[in-house]
Amino acid sequence: MQSYVSIENLSKSFGFFTAVDDVSIGIGRGEFFSLLGPSGCGKSTLLRMIAGFETPTSGAVRLDGEEVTDVPAHRRPTNMMFQSYALFPHLTVGKNIAFGLEQDRLARAEIRQRVSEVAEKLQLTALLDRKPQQLSGGQRQRVALARALVKRPKVLLLDEPLGALDKNLRTETQHELVRLQRELGLTFIIVTHDQHEAMTVSSRIAIMQQGKVLQIGSPAEVYETPVSRYVAKFLGEANVFEGGATRRSGNELAVESAEAGGSVVAAAADHVSTNGRFWVSVRPERVELTKQGSGLEGVIEQFSYAGSGRHYRVRLKSGATLDALRVNLGAEDDLSIGDTVFASWMPQAARLLAD
Amino acid sequence: MQSKPDLGRRALVFVPYGWLAVFFLMPFLLVLAISLSSVRLGMPPYEPLYEWQGSLLSIRLNLENFIFVLSENTYLLAYLTSLKVAAISTALMLAIAYPLAYGIASCAPQTRSVLIFLVIVPFWSSMLIRVYAWMSILRNDGLLNSLLLNLGVISEPLRIMNTETAIYIGIVYTYLPFMVLPIYANLSASDRTLIEAARDLGCSRLAAFWRVTFPLSLRSVAAGSALVFIPVIGEFVVPDLLGGADTQMIGRTIWMEFFNNRDWPVASAVTVLLLIILVIPIVLFQTRLSRTTK
Repeated sequence: MQSYVSIENLSKSFGFFTAVDDVSIGIGRGEFFSLLGPSGCGKSTLLRMIAGFETPTSGAVRLDGEEVTDVPAHRRPTNMMFQSYALFPHLTVGKNIAFGLEQDRLARAEIRQRVSEVAEKLQLTALLDRKPQQLSGGQRQRVALARALVKRPKVLLLDEPLGALDKNLRTETQHELVRLQRELGLTFIIVTHDQHEAMTVSSRIAIMQQGKVLQIGSPAEVYETPVSRYVAKFLGEANVFEGGATRRSGNELAVESAEAGGSVVAAAADHVSTNGRFWVSVRPERVELTKQGSGLEGVIEQFSYAGSGRHYRVRLKSGATLDALRVNLGAEDDLSIGDTVFASWMPQAARLLAD
Repeated sequence: MQSKPDLGRRALVFVPYGWLAVFFLMPFLLVLAISLSSVRLGMPPYEPLYEWQGSLLSIRLNLENFIFVLSENTYLLAYLTSLKVAAISTALMLAIAYPLAYGIASCAPQTRSVLIFLVIVPFWSSMLIRVYAWMSILRNDGLLNSLLLNLGVISEPLRIMNTETAIYIGIVYTYLPFMVLPIYANLSASDRTLIEAARDLGCSRLAAFWRVTFPLSLRSVAAGSALVFIPVIGEFVVPDLLGGADTQMIGRTIWMEFFNNRDWPVASAVTVLLLIILVIPIVLFQTRLSRTTK
């Protein structure tokens, strides 16, 4: 299948520093695609190459089948929403939104109509005569979005679009973005360092580190089946133990782990060789803590109450720590700091990692 | 608790106001008083404004100086010449300073500070010396003419010295940094992502400049223009040393009234009128500016 946005072996170096290193991604039409990674991983540079602000050192960018690698930013069918919003301070909200349409020399009547349409969609109608500095952060964010959307780009690029908003507004705006994207049927590419945000809004996520893409997949795929320890730990919490000898029984593996101080179970996976170095990864919410029974023995060292759940840190006999999360279903807490507990999990809850 | 820093801040504000009151308002009031007096021989060369005759205080305000200045064409002409020279040299400086400031602002930060330093360096020597240097460049047998004659570009020396051209050269040279600095300060602090946003919305480099960079720098253009326009109107040294007798600017007029004619009241009247001519447009401009910012 031909991708709508196709990034082919794209690299970008600044002097000796390679910001983006041989990245290839195919993005389908109407996707909400996230580039996720820590700061300095090259995600913004990648987005800027799609927008046309950076010239790739090598590789190609195709939009809707057309190569745009050398097309300057102002001739690309993409629009960008900037992290700082970059609203023009000398123009009113209405003029900001109309800016791109005026540049395209559309008829006045059409400009007016399209501006009022998008203003209504984003609840900006009452603010059209204000200047950007008279707006709240959330309103500015909507103006920036309106200014980009009104041009009806083939692809909307969003560079950390919600970074400047407070937490409650951010959550609300995430849902708003998803709703808009569905309604308009546009292709969105968003850059974020917030894994929670990426999971909430995206159809697929590319996880980047040091200029390379580590994994691409739906939020569930990257969370449930991370390809490496790095991805597992970047997307939420993970307990990772180095594996040793294995015993197979049916679909289950029993893995001896010196790090965990005993035998841990995992579902049998064919693709990871258990001959070399490998790791067993398990999410805290899949770990079950019991006062009696079997599993890894340890002592509760820390406890924190997070409302929706209770978080325990267990010091295992081997000296390693293990995190466990109990979802708060209203039951009384029977564990406290200093208790001896046994940690165990279902085989399919754990995953074998080769890296 | 909070009133203390407030008091300090108020005291700080008082410093410039106090300075202005002592060194600007008081002298101006003195000049205003002299302009309402009439000339006499002796020291000071004007009649006192008030006299005590027993218990009777008699104040005489003489408006004749103003009537005289306003009715004489020489003064009107000098005002108009000053306004014209100031307007044209402001426009010339703008045409030179804007591209210069833009060029410097688009350099790498280290290069910028060197280039701005070079713009300021001429201030380190006396203005008078620099204007004299221009005399030896522009004279009929000066550096410029000898160079052009030797190169064979011209066969007769160009007459630049003692013309209006020489005044423009001198004024533009002397005042240019005052135009460059505010514009540079604005452009170098401008937000680059605004240009990217304009480009992203379909602007070519040139269109992005005209629709975003330029309108956002207008305030600094206005500041720079005011900074050069106002002193150039009253400029005395450059027209006196480089200009000819046919370009009579208001600065020289005032000087001649004071020192040649020893007519202090008329000289003061010319000064007061000049101030009124300058202050009214500035006040109008300021109120307009503060209204647009609101």
